[in-house]
Amino acid sequence: MTGIVAPSAAQFQFDRVDISGHRNNVAISAATRTRDGAFNVWRNSYAAEYLPTGGSTVRVGGVPFTFPPVCDGPDNVRCEGQFIPVRRARYDWIHLLAASERRCEDTVGLDFADGTADAEPLRVSDFWAAPAWFGEIKAFESPAMHYPHHVQRGVPAVMWAQRVAVTRRADLTGILLPRNVAVHVFAVTLQRTER
Amino acid sequence: MTVETLARTHLVSGPEPELWCRDLISCLQSTVAAVLARDGVDPLTVLGAGWRFLHLPGDVRHEEFYFPCPSGPDGEPDLGAALAPHHDLRARWWQPADEQDPWREIRTSLSEDRLVIAAVDNFHLPFRPAYGDVHAAHQVVVHGLDEARGIVHVSDAMPPAFRGAVPVETFLRSWGSENPTDVQDAFFSDSRIGRRCLDVRLGTPPPPLTPELLGGFLRCDVEHFTTAAAERTGLDGFDRFAAELLERCRAGDADALRELYPFGWAMQAQASLHGEFLRRCGGDWADPALTAAGRAVETAAHAWTGVRFTGAHGLGDPRAAVPDIARHITLLRNAYARAVDAVASVAARL
Repeated sequence: MTGIVAPSAAQFQFDRVDISGHRNNVAISAATRTRDGAFNVWRNSYAAEYLPTGGSTVRVGGVPFTFPPVCDGPDNVRCEGQFIPVRRARYDWIHLLAASERRCEDTVGLDFADGTADAEPLRVSDFWAAPAWFGEIKAFESPAMHYPHHVQRGVPAVMWAQRVAVTRRADLTGILLPRNVAVHVFAVTLQRTER
Repeated sequence: MTVETLARTHLVSGPEPELWCRDLISCLQSTVAAVLARDGVDPLTVLGAGWRFLHLPGDVRHEEFYFPCPSGPDGEPDLGAALAPHHDLRARWWQPADEQDPWREIRTSLSEDRLVIAAVDNFHLPFRPAYGDVHAAHQVVVHGLDEARGIVHVSDAMPPAFRGAVPVETFLRSWGSENPTDVQDAFFSDSRIGRRCLDVRLGTPPPPLTPELLGGFLRCDVEHFTTAAAERTGLDGFDRFAAELLERCRAGDADALRELYPFGWAMQAQASLHGEFLRRCGGDWADPALTAAGRAVETAAHAWTGVRFTGAHGLGDPRAAVPDIARHITLLRNAYARAVDAVASVAARL
């Protein structure tokens, strides 16, 4: 873990976002089929045996996520400007399970029901044996890195729990991901505004 | 141990080389840092003090350790001056003079208690992930040679970090590799290793760092970024580099993207170290504006990620990649401009 302790989020209400229709990349592979994965340009991937079961509910820093399918087709959204509609409501935070090929900063577009839109920063650390440079929580880690032709010990692959602020006090209707293929999103959960 | 055996064993004294690494640097900075640390100098103070942009058309090599390097006063490129423009760092490539005895210079260096930085091909090194799989040009530190036992003592800070012995014959294959074209690595293969070594020496030790001294460094860098020159330096040089990159991509020139990856790594690495260095100074001196300037430089480093990886993934169809590369070039240009403004602002009062 990174040493960052998130407060209990039990008192908050969360909406998990269905991103299944946008998944376009395989980042997790089995040790017996490492060629199936291609998180980055070198076709490296996470080792499935160290990650949660596909489709399971996982909690990171008190935030529930639906873990993506594992070794069953695409498992993440490589950011290419996809628009993800969300259940219309007031939210404070967009929580993400994400990772990047090298650390990266970009923006996500937030669309609101009243016709307004904002660009908010999205900052994601490297998945490759790297620290949580942007202060994320280390959500999951496979201590081995999968290469197309072998399993490499000593080079961990990390998945981060990051968040994006929703500063506008208006109903959110959708999230526009950046056109940035370095950034990969595995799961999205929205945190409702406190009443 | 016999006198003869001792004569064939060459090890630097003291502890093994420091494994100095950051997630945005390459083996170039990590190996030079090992030399600096051995000299008792903080690597970040030297490698992070300067920040430049320089693109030399036709110069980019397909090596992890490529760094654009202008000619020095003697007409020879001096990598040390490019890596650390504000310090007396000298770094020059050399190759063994005697093909029959390629170890002669390394013996001499180790006997003088100096580390050796050697270019290698990852394909031949058992401790590299690419071993037996992918050809790629890399750099390691050699800190010992035991000819009696037939081993070379090698240190490599890049993941998975390694310090240990490698058989001489294995090392020679890697050090002398042709590093042939490898479809699995379009960016760091097809660059002959040729038993190159990098001789790195720090002359005058860095003086104690003060705000006044740093202010001088920063004003020099700002002038570099804001003054047009014949070479592609500073913001003007960036614009010329970017215009040519997009033009080549529109023409379907995949080599433009093969060059972008190693070139961008050089620029990204230096920016990241400079940003970290300024942030550290800002914290040490309770100067929030200096900290913020460092963070702005780091934002420029992060913006290189979008450029480099959009290019890398677009290698198969450079024309199709143009819109997204153009977007990331714009973001990077803006990040550079904001960072230069932030640095100039603090430089004016330091």
